[in-house]
Amino acid sequence: MGYVVQVIVDALSLGGLYALTALGIGLIFSVMRLANFAHAEFITCAAYALFALSGHPLVMAVSAAVLVAVALAVLTERVAFRPLRAADQATMLIASFAVSVLIQKLLIFAVGSRAKPLDPLPVLAETLNVGGVQIGLLKIVTIVTCAILLLALLFLLKRTRLGLQMRAAAEDFTMSRLVGVRADVVIAVAFVVSGVLAAAVAILYAAQTGFVQPRLGVQIVIIAFVATVIGGLGNLWGVVAGGLLVGMASSFLQAFLPADLRPFREAILFLAVILVVLFRPNGLFPARGLKERV
Amino acid sequence: MTQAELRVRDLTVRYGKVVALRHVAMHIDPGEIVSIIGPNGAGKTTLLSAIAGLVPATVGEITYEQQSLLGAPLERTVRCGIAMVPEGRHVFAGLTVLENLQLGATIRNDASAVEAEIEEYFDQFPILGERRHGHAGLLSGGEQQMLVIVRALLAQPRLLMLDEPSLGLAPRVTEQIYDIIRRVRDDGVTVLVVEQNAGRALAASDRTYVISGGEIRLTGPSTELEKHPGFEAAYFGLGEGVIE
Repeated sequence: MGYVVQVIVDALSLGGLYALTALGIGLIFSVMRLANFAHAEFITCAAYALFALSGHPLVMAVSAAVLVAVALAVLTERVAFRPLRAADQATMLIASFAVSVLIQKLLIFAVGSRAKPLDPLPVLAETLNVGGVQIGLLKIVTIVTCAILLLALLFLLKRTRLGLQMRAAAEDFTMSRLVGVRADVVIAVAFVVSGVLAAAVAILYAAQTGFVQPRLGVQIVIIAFVATVIGGLGNLWGVVAGGLLVGMASSFLQAFLPADLRPFREAILFLAVILVVLFRPNGLFPARGLKERV
Repeated sequence: MTQAELRVRDLTVRYGKVVALRHVAMHIDPGEIVSIIGPNGAGKTTLLSAIAGLVPATVGEITYEQQSLLGAPLERTVRCGIAMVPEGRHVFAGLTVLENLQLGATIRNDASAVEAEIEEYFDQFPILGERRHGHAGLLSGGEQQMLVIVRALLAQPRLLMLDEPSLGLAPRVTEQIYDIIRRVRDDGVTVLVVEQNAGRALAASDRTYVISGGEIRLTGPSTELEKHPGFEAAYFGLGEGVIE
């Protein structure tokens, strides 16, 4: 019983991280139809900012991580994606690959490709005893942080004027501009939010794995992209559900597969993904109106 | 010559090699209802889109209240005082009726006045009031048309442009929509409406431009155009003329 609770907590914390990552990607996709692979580098660079400031007070390191991810997100939008706004989706996708690889190579050039040990949140290393079950404090904090960020984003989107404008832009970008929504503002805000989400993922993921390397973000983002496809790109709640689903499935497979099948965990996961895409090509929770738009 | 509210001079619009509009000139005076009619593919929507900033002009000039409209970002149009209701209604389908209307007031900063105005519109169009928290995509075609017109009005435009507001609507519903348009004009808003339904447009407007093959073929007061012997020929792109 205790083992099951532990596995569920693990699954939720991993699923939460994938959900936040998928949400960062889904948000950008919904306002500008850009599948942003460079989101990986937002995460990686935030993790390196943490590494650079390890030993300094936690508040400083965390703020630096958030600042770096947000600055990078806003900068890539301004430099790489704004000139391509009128281009088709394929062009923007390739551009995002280019940005991703460029930053990755710059990182390797600057800090080397070797993994560096990192422990940003040592205070969370303890385990809690909840009704006789040992649960890592870090996992709990991860789950709570993910939940808080999801609620904050929900509040932004549903309760503020800016959020309403973002949802309108996601539905019909041209019409939203005709009623006066400023395209540059809405897109910039989407990138800021995706930067914040990337930084949160970087901090929590680095704390769980204990090291940082130039491909840290790519590992997460690849899975998050799978999650967005499963959930249905363009539908934010579908994307969140997809992230949770993939993270939890991965944890459960790891925990409950017989030992000799465990190496095939990823294969089984991706087989499930193929089945989803075969039978529900628009994802499990397709976006309204996506078909007529694409 | 009086100062026209909107003036289009020598407007040419090309899509690649296709010329959609050729040396078009037109104007609208304050308080008028002006209609643009013509067959499918005549360039009516292109003309409206060029004024709204949705398509770039290849050559020519468009001025609104003596200010050039060309080259400005799309979100400027409504800030200049021009609200556009494009063809096909374009409600934000996944948002509620109320949210759609709130978005109409995006450029305004008087939140409480906007709220009061929305309530007035709900009284005026009870069906929208009843569905205020329902998804706009679930409204009928006529209700959606009503919604997008009210949404456009919430920006307090001085010029309202409508592209084929009767498209796909039952005659009775079309009648209602044109009632709304007349009321809008009575409130002092200038109206430019594009129609394929020529009879409908002539009956509703003060002046009409007949456009065909990308050129304006005939223009004059709507009541006189109806009886004009060259009207049908102009509609199908065969003649040219001005009734003054």
